[in-house]
Amino acid sequence: MSELDLTALAVLAAAAGDPAGYARRWKAENNRPVVGSFPMNFPSELVHATGALPVIVQESRTPITEGRSLLPEFYCSYTRSVADQAAVGELDVFDAFLLADHCVQLLGAADVIRWAKPEKPMHFAQFISSMDDPWSGAQVLDKVRALQAEVEEIVGVTVTPERLSHSIRLFNEDRRLLREFWDRRRAGTLRITSRQLQVLVKSSMVMDIEEHSEILRGLLANLDPDEAAPAGLVRLHLSGHFCAPPRPELLDLIEECGVLVVNDDLYHGARYIDTDVPEGVDPFDALALWYLDRNISAPCGTRVQRNVDWDEYLVSSVEQSGAQGVIVLMAKFCEPLMLYYPELRKALENRDVPVLLIETEHEGLAEEAVRTRVETFVERIHRNEMKVGSSVS
Amino acid sequence: MSLDLATAPTEPLDKSNRLASTRAGGKMVAEYWDNIFTAKERGKHVVWYNGTALNPIFQAAGLEWCHGEAFSARLAAMHLEGPAQAAGEEYGYIGELCSYARTHLGCAVMTQKGITEKQSGIVGMVDQDELASKLPSPDFFVNAYAGCSTGQQWDAMTYRVFGKEFPIFNVSLPMIWGNKPDAGYLRGAEWETTPLYVEEQLKKLIEFIEYQTKRPFDWDALSENMSYIKRASELRLEAMALCAAAPTPATYWDWVASIAPINFMPANQALVDYFQGVKDEIQYRIANSISAVQNEKYRVYFDGIMNWNKLGFLTRKFAEHDVAVVAGRYTHDSFWQEPDLIDINRPLLGMAQHYLICPINHGLKIMEELLIKRCDEYGIDGIAFHSTRTCRAMTNPQHILAKTAERDRGIKSFFFEGDVADASFYKDESLESGLVAMLETIDQQRSRRA
Repeated sequence: MSELDLTALAVLAAAAGDPAGYARRWKAENNRPVVGSFPMNFPSELVHATGALPVIVQESRTPITEGRSLLPEFYCSYTRSVADQAAVGELDVFDAFLLADHCVQLLGAADVIRWAKPEKPMHFAQFISSMDDPWSGAQVLDKVRALQAEVEEIVGVTVTPERLSHSIRLFNEDRRLLREFWDRRRAGTLRITSRQLQVLVKSSMVMDIEEHSEILRGLLANLDPDEAAPAGLVRLHLSGHFCAPPRPELLDLIEECGVLVVNDDLYHGARYIDTDVPEGVDPFDALALWYLDRNISAPCGTRVQRNVDWDEYLVSSVEQSGAQGVIVLMAKFCEPLMLYYPELRKALENRDVPVLLIETEHEGLAEEAVRTRVETFVERIHRNEMKVGSSVS
Repeated sequence: MSLDLATAPTEPLDKSNRLASTRAGGKMVAEYWDNIFTAKERGKHVVWYNGTALNPIFQAAGLEWCHGEAFSARLAAMHLEGPAQAAGEEYGYIGELCSYARTHLGCAVMTQKGITEKQSGIVGMVDQDELASKLPSPDFFVNAYAGCSTGQQWDAMTYRVFGKEFPIFNVSLPMIWGNKPDAGYLRGAEWETTPLYVEEQLKKLIEFIEYQTKRPFDWDALSENMSYIKRASELRLEAMALCAAAPTPATYWDWVASIAPINFMPANQALVDYFQGVKDEIQYRIANSISAVQNEKYRVYFDGIMNWNKLGFLTRKFAEHDVAVVAGRYTHDSFWQEPDLIDINRPLLGMAQHYLICPINHGLKIMEELLIKRCDEYGIDGIAFHSTRTCRAMTNPQHILAKTAERDRGIKSFFFEGDVADASFYKDESLESGLVAMLETIDQQRSRRA
């Protein structure tokens, strides 16, 4: 089984671990603006087409201090962290902010940025979240055009169709490269941890996309030919965790319990890279189409669509990867996930797929308590498999 | 065993004097829900909806309408929310989820079980004596939720709890972000254009309803409904304005008691008469120097959604401290609060505009503007921020609003913990200590000024 070049991975990990530091260096070297955006549907290509660096603002690992007096404690860890970063100056590197997602908690954090940094532009072009109405496509296109106008004003560069098409090609290529890692993991031919995969995706959200793709190409080129996956591990799918990545320690812990993660639908995972922007059509239309397509290729609890179900997608994904169970990772206070979780559980249990819910918070990880729960979950799957085996024999 | 009087919980001394006229509203609401429970027997189409006040449209279409938050609030106010919340919890909803949604989804689970029971012939699966299980099953859903992203997702889940058997229509209401230099309350390019987008969706909603009911929509009835609402709203605002008087003749709690009538009762002469009655009583009180709180010493603004479990308790609690809660974001910046926008010859535009000025649908800049305006109108001394545990929409600007009130007007505030429909989040100690501390600070401010 192949392993990754750790030196190249370290470059990506450094950027993923300190996005503001990376942005400062990039800005100093390139003398161009850095524009912050927010999860989960902002089309970074639009910013890239101006020559600015698009960066999806990440949850910081530092403890929340001043942010405590700006957003209530019953907001998700990501939004409280963003508010805190605004208050303590961690977001000062950004020249402007743009967002397209309507999440009530995220908008609360955006308002904190507006309040703390009134000199920084903060534009909200609200993409419709009801995806299958007759007017949905036109509304999204209208908002893409609004974002275009905003970003052009911020950077002072016109986004031509040619420039945008070029950016789309670069981002599609990066997603394609990232998907190769997921494909190889699913096939069991790449020894890669969930922590490492998180680094690959998270770094793509904050780095210059061409630099990122170049490193990915190097990583892929140095992989050995395919070999068999290790035996005896329980194959699991990780689901949920919108907007911010789960703590890497939690991912390590899960894998230490005799688990092989074979697939996921995490935002800092497969959800982020599943959908390419269509090429060969008007590039502004393409961004709107991409937004609508994303909820079909990886349905999300933050969108509503009558004929698309996250639960059915999850069941199908589990069947394809051969996962024996699902761990749903839920950032505490994430309302769309709290709302959708019962449907996920119902669908999985109807197919006898074991499911475990783990809530996460910004500060702290009750490591041993979680370990016990995961070990029990793994044991339960083992026992179920033995029962199935004995009844067959 | 004798009761230790030193430690026994005590009800606050009642120094409040609630309006008598609002009792008529309680009767109207009770009759409304009793009527809803028999909708199916009467062969009526039933729509479940959440969010903004679409009821004039439903009324004109001859539908019976069940407002999700309203029913959750009613259950909580009657302390009957337990069975619905238990059903929701058993289904898998976590306790930190919006308790309006959690309660209403629990009702949906119970109603759906009732359908299954009828289909299976097995009786007794749901206790029909539980109020929470009495909602008639929907024929379709309509969602039009402003400000809160959870609102739209909630109905998407209700749709799934019922196995996607009943159609759903979504009206998408963009937030009024207020980022441009010209932006403000009821002004700026964003305000001029966004209602037109919503108005077009409302036209599509009416086409959807016509398809569902197989009846042409009665546009004249809609105009008539909106004429009643416009008049009721005018009377409500005139009555509210009278409460700028000190001592105030009515309080925020009286306006909370009047939310249901203005928010979802049928639009008719009875609605107008209700608010005429409220205004008359307030005028009578002013003429006869009758105050809503004995010995009003402090005038407080309430920010946050109502804690429905505690309406009576909070009324007495604040009055016990000589506090008149005279206005609030939930009551004064909601519910057809701009009747001049209603044009009965073009009713959908005024409706769209009202849906967009829901008090959780503004960006910070507009909310700051509205808070300061209300504080000035009502001579506010302090602000009580209800840190509503499961309502992220109402709480998200609160800390900054507190700073704005202090910065711009020197107005003090405090936060207390509670929730809309889950009594377990209410912390009496945080209210008591915060309120007392704020009042002491106000006393110090006054002594310095003197």
